[in-house]
Amino acid sequence: MVDVMLVAVAGALGKGANSPTSLLMMATLAEPVHFSWVEMALLVACVVASGGMFFWRFGPILRNILDSKKDVDFSLRPVGRRVWEFVWEVLCQAKVIKERPLPGLAHAFVFWGFLAFALVSLNHFATGLRLGFLSPDGYVGRFYFVFAGVWALLVAVSIAGLFVRRFFVRPVWLGKKVSYESGFIAFLIFTLMVTYLAAFFVSDDGVVVKMLWWTHTLALLVFLPLIPHTKHLHLVLSPLTVFLKRDGFAKIPPLHGDEDFGLSAGKDITQLISLQAYSCVECGRCTEHCPASTTGKVLNPKEIILGMRGYLNELGPQSEVGLLAESRPESAFGTTLSMEAAFECTTCGSCEYQCPVGIQHLPIIIGLRRGATNTGAWEDTYGTKLFLALEKNGNALGLSAMERDKFVTKQGFPIFDGTQEYCLWLGCMGGYDPKGREIIADFARVMDYLGTTFGVLKKEKCTGDPARRLGNDLVFQNLAEFGLKALETAKVQKIVAICPHCVRTISNDWREFGIAPEIEHHSEFMARHKDRLPKQGAAVGAAGETIVYHDPCYLGRYRDVYEAPREIVTMAGTLVEAPRSHEKSFCCGAGGGLAFLGEETGERVSHVRAAELAGTGAQVVGTACPFCNTMFRDALSEMETRPQLLDIAQLTARALPEKQAAGNGVSTTGN
Amino acid sequence: MKILVAVKQVPERDAQIRVAGDGKWIDEGDLSYTINEPDAYALEEALQLKEKNGGEVVVMCAGPDRVLSTLREALAKGADRAIHIEADDLGERDTLGVAQILADAVKEEAPDLILTGLQSDDLGLGQTGVVLAALLGIPHATIIMQVEKTEAGLTVKRELEDGWFQQVEMPLPALLTIQSGGNKLRYATLMGIKKAKTKETKTVTAAAAAGSRAITLERVYLPEKQKKTEMLTGTPAEIAAKLVEKLKFEVRVI
Repeated sequence: MVDVMLVAVAGALGKGANSPTSLLMMATLAEPVHFSWVEMALLVACVVASGGMFFWRFGPILRNILDSKKDVDFSLRPVGRRVWEFVWEVLCQAKVIKERPLPGLAHAFVFWGFLAFALVSLNHFATGLRLGFLSPDGYVGRFYFVFAGVWALLVAVSIAGLFVRRFFVRPVWLGKKVSYESGFIAFLIFTLMVTYLAAFFVSDDGVVVKMLWWTHTLALLVFLPLIPHTKHLHLVLSPLTVFLKRDGFAKIPPLHGDEDFGLSAGKDITQLISLQAYSCVECGRCTEHCPASTTGKVLNPKEIILGMRGYLNELGPQSEVGLLAESRPESAFGTTLSMEAAFECTTCGSCEYQCPVGIQHLPIIIGLRRGATNTGAWEDTYGTKLFLALEKNGNALGLSAMERDKFVTKQGFPIFDGTQEYCLWLGCMGGYDPKGREIIADFARVMDYLGTTFGVLKKEKCTGDPARRLGNDLVFQNLAEFGLKALETAKVQKIVAICPHCVRTISNDWREFGIAPEIEHHSEFMARHKDRLPKQGAAVGAAGETIVYHDPCYLGRYRDVYEAPREIVTMAGTLVEAPRSHEKSFCCGAGGGLAFLGEETGERVSHVRAAELAGTGAQVVGTACPFCNTMFRDALSEMETRPQLLDIAQLTARALPEKQAAGNGVSTTGN
Repeated sequence: MKILVAVKQVPERDAQIRVAGDGKWIDEGDLSYTINEPDAYALEEALQLKEKNGGEVVVMCAGPDRVLSTLREALAKGADRAIHIEADDLGERDTLGVAQILADAVKEEAPDLILTGLQSDDLGLGQTGVVLAALLGIPHATIIMQVEKTEAGLTVKRELEDGWFQQVEMPLPALLTIQSGGNKLRYATLMGIKKAKTKETKTVTAAAAAGSRAITLERVYLPEKQKKTEMLTGTPAEIAAKLVEKLKFEVRVI
């Protein structure tokens, strides 16, 4: 019957296509003219039953969200940003469309159609109570019903397309288990649209129009109670979730009080986390882009969120039972919310960046790590070694601080004394790692060439980045406080660093303990001075190399710097883009402290990415992060023919004249 | 089992050591301090014994107020109580003198087991623990890699030369000096630090140093750098033979 109606609709539209005016004239929505008292009573009963069932299911969810711990650091400000994101991400569906254009657009049509239908549905029920306010005969009513009719058609086509995608195309990210409820809901939406459209082709009196009216009504009333316990709860919650999400990307909230160690048990789950957990629409974008999930590890960001939801449903937001599978007596909600999974995260931020409903995965995953590390529940040989190295030596590599002093002396780097413009932050890689030292030495040459004065701190410790991301707040706090004090004592005004992790941690994470001087990444510095830097290769008309640039997570998604390093690369050769680049860049595997942990399970993230970069056929892999660089060095060394691997500082420095007469006497090689 | 761990605070490993003006000690002005490494292993052993057998771990340290940071760290890692023996004149006391003030404090506690590192990173005398045992009149064993509680007392594994080990059974109370590397150290946690705030730290004052000293410190000096470069000549085979001989008999590394 539905099919027949569709044909009828299509036929009618086809006929009218030559003359839109005639279509408008002809298209008059039929509404039942009379409702008996019995029908009205039945309608009220159905509405009450449907609404009652909705609240019966939604009530406990709402209570879980409200009963969760308050987000102490939450602030509505900046409201402007929130409103803008609401308009852009919810009303415009920009993120949904951008990341998955075809299904995204289909979803947007359904969403906009729902909005257009709000008035129609209201009128629909009002009509049933003899209170209809939009008349198909009036000018406004006639226009609006046709307007909604166009949307109905788009919704019907879109939902049918999404149905085909979910049940026949079956993208792997939607999960192995087919959701029959989703299919049923798609069918209900389809029915709603078809019954609406069909009413344009029947007369006002008679059984058919009544039948259509009641079918439409019942479809809507059956749909309503299905919302709370399915992924369709996002209809209700996600606009709010997007509006309320924590300000800032991958923001790690401060701990409050003496009993807060992160997410150890249900009682630590905050209202925002609850709201986000219940908003998950299970689309799997997070998993699709996750470097851990896609290389065969246990971690699946979607399952982490659903695990939180499962925990809340079963144990509630005041439970003292541990959140992670390893600390729970029984894994009633699966093993997906586990310590193993939490510590496989590279904190690349793809999941959070991709999420269309405003879920912020990083505060949750890092929160789980904090809960485990801050209480000592996380026992890992490599992790412990790293923390002890940071405690004792103040660098993540566990080397003696004297090694840094020796390097500084050898390079002839001046100690920052307030007379120089910049403080050059060496970082663990720049100060201790052979390859990192080459990068820092080359960047120092670039600064010398530009005549920019700089100095290094006499004593510098790790920014605490790996400790922070692995959830060790004690080590992080000590390092942050040490760093802030060192910069303050030296009266530093501006910092430049070669490591995006250092830049992020100093500019953002340290804020919990004080405001650090302004810091920028060397890509930003060099891009600003690019007119004064020598050009090479294609930029001067020569046959330059092809260079594929890898966006580091902490420079791209975390800092929104995509073009500055590309400007540098373009001056050094011909820029090639990797299949996954910019916001979609794939992690090198080092972030989140994972560079210092043991062997991975499954494929190595670095190998997958290195193969992708080498697969572009570029002659050089250009990096902008010493951690990416070191990961790729290992991965590329296993290839028979491999591209060269150079940091953007090295790409720039190689075009500089051999040795500067003036300057700081920096030697041309890093070791 | 009540375990007492005697720890020492020493200059950090990376510290730039400068000899003080009088040449009798180091300049302490600009130094940062940390727990003596073998003592960190002694603490770890104590904590693991407590985790296995129950009981209490008391940590004790002699020195000026700066040693409180080391005591706090020990409490954060899991020790139950701390004792600070206030003494500003450790540099003027010899091993016996230091062991004496430790013994005074231990007597009040009457622990079942005393653990300490086998030697200190700064002076490296390796005697304090042994002398303390003698003063208390209890048995001791040195260079311990493993400790196990038995019905009768303890079974311990001592490290001997050249990869040999010795198993020793001993009664309690006893004193053990612990070798580095026998266990894996734990990291201090935020929870530990917060809990440490609520734990008791008792302060006792050390008795004044006795007049006579068994050992007097003459002079403190930094190792003098000696760089000797010797070119070996001959055919590659001859050079190799000479090199092996030197490595074997002069440097004694192979």
